[in-house]
Amino acid sequence: MWTSSGGSSASSKTAKRKSSSTAGSAFNEKAAEKMFEEFAEEDDPTVMGMDGIIKLCEHVDLDPFEDKRVLVLLWKLGSKEKPSQITKEEFLTGCYNLHVDTIGKFQSLIPSLDTGFLDEMEFKDFYKFCFQFNRQGTHRTLDKELVVALMKMVLTGRIPDDRLESFCTFVETQEAYTRITLDQWTSFLDFCFAVPDLSQYDESSSAWPVLIDEYVEYMEELQKKK
Amino acid sequence: MATNVGNQRIIPLEEGWNDEIKAKAIDKLEALLNGEMKSGSMFGPKEYVQIYTTCYDMCTQRSPYNWSRELYQRHGETIEKYLTTTVLPALRDKTGQGGTILLTELRHRWLNHQIMNKWLKKFFTYLDRYYVKHHSLPTLSQAGLRCFRTKVYDEMKGETTNAILGLINDEREGKIIDKSLIKSVVELYESMGMGSLDAYNSDLEEALLNSTREYYAKKREDWINDSTPDYLIKAEEALTKESKRVDDYLNSASEMKILKVVEEEILERVEMVLLEKESSGCRALLQNDKSEDLQRMFRLFSRLENGLNPMAAIFQNFISSMGDDIVNRRQARLEGGEKDKNDDPKFVKSLISLHEKYLGVVKQDFSGHSLFQKALKDAFVEIVNKNVGQFTNAELMSTFCDRILKSGGEKLSESEVEESLDRIVQLFSYLTDKDMFAEIYRNQLAKRLLTQRSTSDDSEKLMIAKLKMQCGTQFTSKMEGMLSDLAVGSEQRSEFENRMRSVDSKLDFSVQVLTTGFWPTYKSPEVALTPEMSKCMDIFKDWHEQKHQKRKLTWVLSQGNASVRGVFGKKSYDFQVSTLQAIALDAMNNGVTMTFQELATKLNAEESILKPLMHSLSCGKYKVLIKTPPGNKINPTDTFTANPKFTSNMRKLRIPMATLESSLNTKRVEEDRTIAIEAAIVRIMKARKTLQHQQLLSEVLNQLAFFNPNPRDIKKRIEGLIDREYLERSADNAQVYNYLA
Repeated sequence: MWTSSGGSSASSKTAKRKSSSTAGSAFNEKAAEKMFEEFAEEDDPTVMGMDGIIKLCEHVDLDPFEDKRVLVLLWKLGSKEKPSQITKEEFLTGCYNLHVDTIGKFQSLIPSLDTGFLDEMEFKDFYKFCFQFNRQGTHRTLDKELVVALMKMVLTGRIPDDRLESFCTFVETQEAYTRITLDQWTSFLDFCFAVPDLSQYDESSSAWPVLIDEYVEYMEELQKKK
Repeated sequence: MATNVGNQRIIPLEEGWNDEIKAKAIDKLEALLNGEMKSGSMFGPKEYVQIYTTCYDMCTQRSPYNWSRELYQRHGETIEKYLTTTVLPALRDKTGQGGTILLTELRHRWLNHQIMNKWLKKFFTYLDRYYVKHHSLPTLSQAGLRCFRTKVYDEMKGETTNAILGLINDEREGKIIDKSLIKSVVELYESMGMGSLDAYNSDLEEALLNSTREYYAKKREDWINDSTPDYLIKAEEALTKESKRVDDYLNSASEMKILKVVEEEILERVEMVLLEKESSGCRALLQNDKSEDLQRMFRLFSRLENGLNPMAAIFQNFISSMGDDIVNRRQARLEGGEKDKNDDPKFVKSLISLHEKYLGVVKQDFSGHSLFQKALKDAFVEIVNKNVGQFTNAELMSTFCDRILKSGGEKLSESEVEESLDRIVQLFSYLTDKDMFAEIYRNQLAKRLLTQRSTSDDSEKLMIAKLKMQCGTQFTSKMEGMLSDLAVGSEQRSEFENRMRSVDSKLDFSVQVLTTGFWPTYKSPEVALTPEMSKCMDIFKDWHEQKHQKRKLTWVLSQGNASVRGVFGKKSYDFQVSTLQAIALDAMNNGVTMTFQELATKLNAEESILKPLMHSLSCGKYKVLIKTPPGNKINPTDTFTANPKFTSNMRKLRIPMATLESSLNTKRVEEDRTIAIEAAIVRIMKARKTLQHQQLLSEVLNQLAFFNPNPRDIKKRIEGLIDREYLERSADNAQVYNYLA
């Protein structure tokens, strides 16, 4: 399956792309480039910002605010350098890997963007990307409301509904944390996999972030009230 | 008659046996033993040689006239016959007449047997030398002994043992018995083991242990209704007596076993009952200071494995409840309306006395045993950390030290001071939040030092040394720094004084330089100074700059002191005031009247400083200024003027001013703790590279000696460090951390 690419030097990727001529459809780098230019930032043609991304989504009939496949797409393309954008280099490399060089090909790609296709490791990587991508500017944390919305969008179906629901309610209503860190974000998913049954939870030996300890406490309080 | 080669005549078996050996040796021997002859007429040397020679000859004659085998056999038969026909019946005859009679007879027969054995061996010695060895047979002595064992001992041992046990119980009940008799019979048992104690153990000791157990089980039932001290006295006595008994007439190997049985029956089985008796148990003894009884209780229960643990638990509980009482009394006083201050010497002294008293009990009554030391410690850790009211015990203890160390506090001799400090440090060692104590202590120390109200430099050093010994150098480094600043200051004072003299200033001026970091942080208000003051300060600044170019000076006017001469009509006074107060008084000189605002402008002082300042001069005990309108509160609309009617009996007066600093910087301590936790985590992870969560937690707790963070706080710091990328969670195991270089 797909894994996020990137990290190798730009020139070698370019070289690879140019010399590719596998049987079947060859990758048309020029076409991909042209596509990028349509969506690139006005004042910086090497970067596609949120405006461009939204435009791209419109072209392929994806709702950029509600449909998590947008995030999957950006993840698979390999946006890494900064949040809320994708660089030209990343885009072109991504397109090459995904074998898309036209809008039409993007459109036919969409069904494969369902997260159901991802195994646990891949999903964790994607999930982490969701946090990183949604950061604003130089902030390293996310606002808790955004976190709740994101979680609901991305985790539904992947973890039990009641767990997701109760955790989101908890995050919204508690007052100690207004922002959520990456560690808290990623730990929550690991926690869902590792501790499906809250009655098994043992705080004294747990390394989970305090946020999660407090969540378990919150759930225990709710139980008592019943 | 056959003849030998040579002159020797061959002795035939029967002739040699009947005429010589039996008649002259055996019969005579038996008669002697039976008391039919005078014992004085035992075998003389001539007689003996003759018999011996006969045997010798009979054993060295050449075959078929060598009678070794026959003689050996007949030796055994002789003894056997004697035992069976003479000795055993005699013993049986003495049964049923009481133990002493039986034992006496047995002793007699045993002694006889030893004599018989000895003489027969002497006669037949030659057999022992060659025949016995050659045929790997028991020696004559062994054979004789075995004979006694099978024919007499085995038959009589049951009754003999019963006889002995009966006598022992008699002795236990207080009757006089013949100890040496029993001792002799015990020696018989020992010998019957043929080199081991097996016979003694299985035929006597085992039964003795059982009867001992029975006996003391019954005694226990009798005694158990006594008070605990009375019971224990009896128990101790019993153990002493049993020990002596073994010494008197039993085999020493039995001592441990017997004592163990007795201990089990009279101590172990009823330990909890004894300890928990309502009015005479362990708690009651502690309550009533029954030192001797406690010592006995300790002695006796130390004999048992884990015998001291229940005692130590009761001891700990007792001290805890005494401590609770002290804490509750304080609470009651506060609830009853007493002002909640950071000074409660009554409370601290009560804790100290409690500690001293039971430290003594541990040393004297419990021989300083570690279980009891720990019980005392655990109890005090619990007590000392129970805070009531708005001030922690850490603060109360620090203020207690302040009282002792400042002039005008408690009046104590040098040795009393040392003793008190010593004891406070002991209490201090039980505090969880030691860093809180340190912070408060430091603030109070600084105040003493800066207002020159410390009784003695030596006492200050002493206390710091004691704290250092408890907690290490790091704990006291700032305090020591403060003292060294003062030492340096006084060294340089004379040098600076010379400088001042050369400039001919009107003010007697000196400066104390404080190293930032050692001292608490003080506010440094930028107040407008009098010209004379400014001049002095500039002189110092120059002088200091010459000495230390790179150091930056910041004036801390809030901590300075001044002496101001006030002339009111004909009388004059010396006021000991703070620098700020001096500046205010200067502004009020010559009878001027000023409003609050005017003063604020002239002095360039903020309201938060000017208010307490003016309050101290116009609303306190010594109203050097008059405030209009009068009252206890300073309002920005007030006006002030010097008080022409001011008078006092004393010439020298100190006018205190409310402190501008908060007395305790809790925030600072919290910050320090956060830093300490993070530093510990990083230090540990750097060394270990990778560590499981639980282990990291416990190592952190180990390293933090001066406070006890809860696991959640440590976790929060870990999360912080993960965020700042000092650590990461391991990809394989979310419970493991890796250090990121």
